[in-house]
Amino acid sequence: MGLLSTLFPSESDKRATEIRTGAVAPSRAERQKCWEARDGYFACLDAHGIVDALKEDAEAARACAAESAEFEKDCAAQWVTYFKKWRVQDIQKKARLKELEAQGANRMDVQTDFTQRR
Amino acid sequence: MPPPAATARTAFKTLPRAAHATRQCTRFLSTARTARSQRPTAASPAKLQSQPYQPLVQRRFKYNTVEEAKSRYRSGPFSWKAGLLFVLTGAGLVWYFENEKTRMQRKRIAESTKGVGRPKVGGPFELMDQNGNKVTEQDLKGRYSLVYFGFTHCPDICPEELDKMARMFDLVEEQRPGAVTPVFVTCDPARDGPKELKEYLVEFHPKFVGLTGTYEQIKAMCKAYRVYFSTPTEVEPGQDYLVDHSIYFYLMDPEGDFVEALGRQHSPDQAAKVILDHMKDWKGALKTS
Repeated sequence: MGLLSTLFPSESDKRATEIRTGAVAPSRAERQKCWEARDGYFACLDAHGIVDALKEDAEAARACAAESAEFEKDCAAQWVTYFKKWRVQDIQKKARLKELEAQGANRMDVQTDFTQRR
Repeated sequence: MPPPAATARTAFKTLPRAAHATRQCTRFLSTARTARSQRPTAASPAKLQSQPYQPLVQRRFKYNTVEEAKSRYRSGPFSWKAGLLFVLTGAGLVWYFENEKTRMQRKRIAESTKGVGRPKVGGPFELMDQNGNKVTEQDLKGRYSLVYFGFTHCPDICPEELDKMARMFDLVEEQRPGAVTPVFVTCDPARDGPKELKEYLVEFHPKFVGLTGTYEQIKAMCKAYRVYFSTPTEVEPGQDYLVDHSIYFYLMDPEGDFVEALGRQHSPDQAAKVILDHMKDWKGALKTS
């Protein structure tokens, strides 16, 4: 990315910028790309034991710099924040469920993850 | 030797006495038998009296052969025919009652959600579809409709749920073509115009109807469907934001009354089954294709 591409951005770069700023809604393929980047980033956070990437941002930036860059490139800025918050909540929810199950609570059929049902 | 007349007289005198004695005997037997049989079978004494001399032992030999008697003794009143009849009747009853129970449950759901007078969920609206045509609640009547609220900038749940809705819709279409209209209503009218909706929805299903309108129209629609949504209040023009909203599919009947809410817990197959079952229960007119 030199001066030339900054001055005359290509069509795809323009589209990517629009998605990042939220000017346009991403298409199916763009959403898929974002989710993949998100999963890669979260896998990295998991590997480094980081739960809240917003609070531990310095640590997260150091440990998962490449994944974070990818994540922020492919997803809208609002989505990045949203997914980071969602991750914290999801981890807390899973921990709480585990705790409840250990106490002998009954499991109800609700879905909290991103995997699709068929 | 008494004269013949006297002999005849004595004979005549003893006759009723003998008859009397017989009657006494009969009564003895009959009362004894009646008393014994009263509790289990309550057989009519009249019937027993009509056969006063039936010997008690006779009952023992009502089989033609010893084998028959033995077999009867071993199995009692049960035979494979009786057993089969019992099992079939039992299975039939169980099936019938289970069927009826689930039907009644569905009916109860449909009835309980049906508002008395004014509908509790749903109602009149006036919005615009992705092709710029005006759509009101009248356009949805005559078919079931599956209504979902969301927005095109939705990060995860809406796209997944819309994919699910597409599968659900296809499954229903296979069995009842044209009996349900899939509707997507945006909660973000500021950014989701007809053009945006068209681009967004065509990736999920070409038959999806996308509805948008002014903020006031959408607010009224969401209120009618008891949908919670919150757009951030202080948004600069061009600034990105997310909208918080309820994530249920609302199944509406052909008269525009709310039937049931389908949620994240339903798989597309389960949801399609719920819809098809409600369609089976529907007695009124239902458009197809």
